[in-house]
Amino acid sequence: MRIPLALLALTSSCLSALALDLKGRIQWNDRCPGIDDLGQAKVVLDNGKHRGGVTRDGAFTIPGVPAGTYVLSVVAHDHIFEQLRVDVYESESLPEVRPYFPGTPLSSPSSVTLPYPIVLSARAKHDYFVPRESFNLLAMFQNPMMMMMLGAGVLVLLMPTMMKNMDPEVMEEFNERQAKMSGMQSALQSGDIMGGITQMLAGEEPKAASSGTSKGATSSGAKQRSGKNKRR
Amino acid sequence: MRLFILSLLAACAQALHSYEAGVTDWHKPFAGVPLLHSDSTSPVFHRSKREDGQSSSVVLSATQSNVLAAYHSVNGSLAWRHLFEDDDNIIAFEKDKDVVATLSGPGGAHFRIFDSTAGYLLSETRLHDPASGRLQEPESLGTNVAFGSEEKEENIFVLTNGHTLRRLDRRTGEVRWGWTAPDQTSLVVYSKIRVMPSTVYLLGLTKSFASYTLHITSLSPETGEVINSGDYPSSITSGLSEVFILSDVNNPDTNPQIVWLEEGAIKSFRLTPDLKSKFSVVKGAVYKTIEDVGLSEHGQFVATTDDGSGRVVKLTPEGLKVIWEFSDSATSPQRSGSIYSGGVDVAGFPYIARVFWMHSLRLASAHVFAAHLAEGKGLVTGFTFPFKTGEHGVIRHVAVEAANPEPYRVLARLALTTSTGAVQMWQQDQLQWSREEGLADIRVAELVELPEPKIASHSDRDQETFSARVARQLLDAKDFPQYAVNFVRRFVTGSYASVSASVAPSANTSEPLSRDAFGFRKVIVAATSHGKLYGIDSANGEILWSRVFGLGWAAQVGGQIVPVKMFVTRTVIDGDSPQVVVVTQRKANNGLVDTVIFHVDALTGDDARDKSQSVDVLQGEDIVSGPLVEAYLLRTEAGRAVVCLDEFLQVHVYPGNDEATHALEKILPSLRIPLRTGPPGQRRLTGHQVPQQVEFTGKHIAYPTWSLPFPPTEDIRAIFARPSGPVASFGKVLGNRTTLYKYLNPNLVGVVTGPPSTAPPSDSAACSIYLVDGGKGTIIYHTVLPSVAGACDVKAALVENWLVYHYYDNEVGVNQAKGHRVVSVELYEGYGVDDKRRSSELSSLSNETTAVSVYEQAYIFPRGIRTLTPTSTSYGITVKDIIVANENNQIQSFPRRFLDPRRPKQKPTAEEAEEWLIQYDPVLPDDSKRVLSHNYQVAKTRRIITSPALLESTSLVFAYGLDLFFTRVAPSNTFDVLSESFNKPQLVITIAGLALAIAVAKPIVARKRLRERWYN
Repeated sequence: MRIPLALLALTSSCLSALALDLKGRIQWNDRCPGIDDLGQAKVVLDNGKHRGGVTRDGAFTIPGVPAGTYVLSVVAHDHIFEQLRVDVYESESLPEVRPYFPGTPLSSPSSVTLPYPIVLSARAKHDYFVPRESFNLLAMFQNPMMMMMLGAGVLVLLMPTMMKNMDPEVMEEFNERQAKMSGMQSALQSGDIMGGITQMLAGEEPKAASSGTSKGATSSGAKQRSGKNKRR
Repeated sequence: MRLFILSLLAACAQALHSYEAGVTDWHKPFAGVPLLHSDSTSPVFHRSKREDGQSSSVVLSATQSNVLAAYHSVNGSLAWRHLFEDDDNIIAFEKDKDVVATLSGPGGAHFRIFDSTAGYLLSETRLHDPASGRLQEPESLGTNVAFGSEEKEENIFVLTNGHTLRRLDRRTGEVRWGWTAPDQTSLVVYSKIRVMPSTVYLLGLTKSFASYTLHITSLSPETGEVINSGDYPSSITSGLSEVFILSDVNNPDTNPQIVWLEEGAIKSFRLTPDLKSKFSVVKGAVYKTIEDVGLSEHGQFVATTDDGSGRVVKLTPEGLKVIWEFSDSATSPQRSGSIYSGGVDVAGFPYIARVFWMHSLRLASAHVFAAHLAEGKGLVTGFTFPFKTGEHGVIRHVAVEAANPEPYRVLARLALTTSTGAVQMWQQDQLQWSREEGLADIRVAELVELPEPKIASHSDRDQETFSARVARQLLDAKDFPQYAVNFVRRFVTGSYASVSASVAPSANTSEPLSRDAFGFRKVIVAATSHGKLYGIDSANGEILWSRVFGLGWAAQVGGQIVPVKMFVTRTVIDGDSPQVVVVTQRKANNGLVDTVIFHVDALTGDDARDKSQSVDVLQGEDIVSGPLVEAYLLRTEAGRAVVCLDEFLQVHVYPGNDEATHALEKILPSLRIPLRTGPPGQRRLTGHQVPQQVEFTGKHIAYPTWSLPFPPTEDIRAIFARPSGPVASFGKVLGNRTTLYKYLNPNLVGVVTGPPSTAPPSDSAACSIYLVDGGKGTIIYHTVLPSVAGACDVKAALVENWLVYHYYDNEVGVNQAKGHRVVSVELYEGYGVDDKRRSSELSSLSNETTAVSVYEQAYIFPRGIRTLTPTSTSYGITVKDIIVANENNQIQSFPRRFLDPRRPKQKPTAEEAEEWLIQYDPVLPDDSKRVLSHNYQVAKTRRIITSPALLESTSLVFAYGLDLFFTRVAPSNTFDVLSESFNKPQLVITIAGLALAIAVAKPIVARKRLRERWYN
């Protein structure tokens, strides 16, 4: 009365016209270290008519797959897996597994074949959040613009005392240079950038305090604007 | 190009910040209402030992939502749940120690083993092709799972399809041997397994003329060889529910016995491997029913005598013996019928609980019987518990777990399932927890706006004396210092009402319901198919109120209320508290179907018709005595009314007052009602109009004006209409300063057709999607989509002039690229730019309604979806995104910009760039930053509702299905409030710093000036 298992298997396979059980497993990696992380997941062919659940050890079996070409994908909530192209043949030969990119035609299979049983591993984990831009006083002062401003403020405060302690000779030289600088500044303001630059190049010494201030102010102003744009 | 899109995406991403998760959104996971029709799926306690020696208890249940779930007995939280596919129904589960085994699919096609503490899938085996599964009635017939006895723990015996028994390995799910009944065409259907150390008994029934005959087969557990098999003279009329095998795990030497009820007598048959023994009869009374309470392995069951009293019968080595009769359990008008349930304690001793409702005391009562206590004489302990029948209906099922901390003391824990779908845990007379699992089965829901908070204190009296007023105002002034402090703090820190803050009321406040500053807080009114109406706070998902639908006259015979539609008939704009009307179909158990309307206050759940008390069940009004065909909301100046069409196309109006009737009469000539008519298989769309004259019945009767037949290969699957939202702009200005005018025909309806359900499934069958002018039946847009083996899985949404649909394309056509597709279609008036036809105001008789130009583009969608819906905002200015519930159990938004059907195929020209069009890319990016539900598993979503907030930029999103999920989205960012990233402290500090700098620099400058005056 007892029918051997092989016979039973044969009868069931006869019913579904030479179907194959597609086997594979999910290789745990850093992005998905285990079933705890993965949660309930399944591996589906095409739109999910043929499917298999992922067990605790990562294995899966898609039972009764008839011959044909399928796109295999993993349905997991938090992880991204590659899609594969699987060709199941009428004959006894093993199915062929190839990488697949969504939207590409199935008529021209890729020449790369992957081993069977299928081994999949998580390519990435979904990151649902964007980081918060929080307010930080220190970070605010680490901004180059703020540092320039502070430097300028300090210079403004210290300048009179520095001037007082200067040699009259140096003072004269300094005044001369300042005049040159103001000329350059006015050139810049009137839009004659080239003139401004040549004047700047001509007036070699960049140590001049006032020039530093003005340079800092203009460049940082531009930076600030671009920074804002980025944020938007 | 990709890079450009990505950068654009980054620029316009409105993704969630992690601090917003759980604040602006909430998620309530459910498992669904337990399946009660069979013992093999109904809730049961399970105690499993942990590694540290402690044991933890869970309640296991298979549910109507096709989920296997475990609740922690202590707090009612979900320990785990496993979602089964929609075509893979759970038909039985069985637990043993640390595993739970399930059978699912037709005839038990799939067998799975789960870890009982964490719910991990341990193995999954397909036992047969689901297509060859035999469908039985009930579903669980012909399937069974049994675990091997003590020494042979690694075995699981599985019976499927009524005739195949397999022995599987518990760890791997591997099949060791299989046995199939030799004659599968015979009328024998096996249904039960009992595993003894040396024999496996299979119990089946053979159908004979008027009754069933017992059929038993004994097999060897090692090899699967048949030892003996045969029919046993018996005549069983009630099927397998009253046949079972008794054995005693605590007394393994006792031979198992088959017990059945035949003509009022309990008959039993001793099982031996050779199946040779005589049956015996339990004498003493005439029995009405016998009931397996889940203790058949402990040798106990409950028999009910013909006067209704319950007796416990036990298997002893000498035979069956009545060991107890529950006192006062005879049928009586004072109490309801008893529910019996069996359970075990930690030591494995059996207990039987009897639960019933006492009408006079309005309390539920439980008696717990323990056979082994009181020196084996049996002990009953009883208690009453205050079950709220007005809130939860009646008790449908009881599972029991008992503990025996000291002699003569029994503590019982009862897990109740009620008719409204609640699952409750009672420990003696204390309610431990209650879960509203009925919410996993919401049929209709609406979001209702809340009234503004009352800020100013009003004095009710007009004539208030001067002194009284001064005193009152002084009293009010006591809050001023706090107000001033708050004002300063708000000014300095910028802690204004934030769009990313929770709008939930702080705990333990008893303020009346009111909306927040931006209108994010609403009441979700939801009706379930388990006859209950809920008011849910959209701020945190708490249930504000709930009402049970009354059955009206059908209370005598019993019945079910199925909600069909829900309308908001009064909003806060109308002045008073908002009201909601629920249109339902009442299906009485005697076969009569009526249409009943329930009308409630959305804030409190009180009956707006003042017909029922707020503590009682909600009484409705029978508006149509017959089934409903369609219901609409009529918006007139006089207010809103509900219009129902019955099967004779008579028009019924609710409320039936003169105002509503006059309003209806005024609007009648312009009403065009497209309806689905005809028998299944030849369904057609028929347009109707309503005449001005009333028939002799006093009702208007709609008459057909046009009919749209579809090809014989197509049957209407779904009809969808455009949501009634405001349209902000009637045209779209292009980059070259020309305008495309939107096609906004108010009668536009969408129809999805597919092959008739009667047709054999084939791959050549096709599905179609139509846009039809509901005024005269003209087809405006039509496309044919491929079906997947005869099934049409087309999801579509229509908003303004924009149609979006999703389907699976397995066409092995051009390039053989199969995958999910989404198509975006836009309809514009006329045949080109600047061709204005005023389609929104056109008469439906005008020829110009057919002058349409169509823009469409198809995209490759990352995955399958369950439903899709566009966002909606209060003025319709904000761009509309598409919100989808995908098969990954996520709620995801797809921006309109990617779905724009006018995306150019080449690099955008300056004009196109001005319109913000981006180059066409067939693959829609799957952006995880746009997953609104982030870490939540929002499972089996059936519908998503979007609703406007007060802020034009923001749309509220509510998804229901198995779980409830609520969030808010801003498709074009929150342009109408200050950005969240706006840094007020930085601004304040900068200003303060500058002020300080001025303060410091001013004297310096003044001194310098002074010096200049002196020295120059």
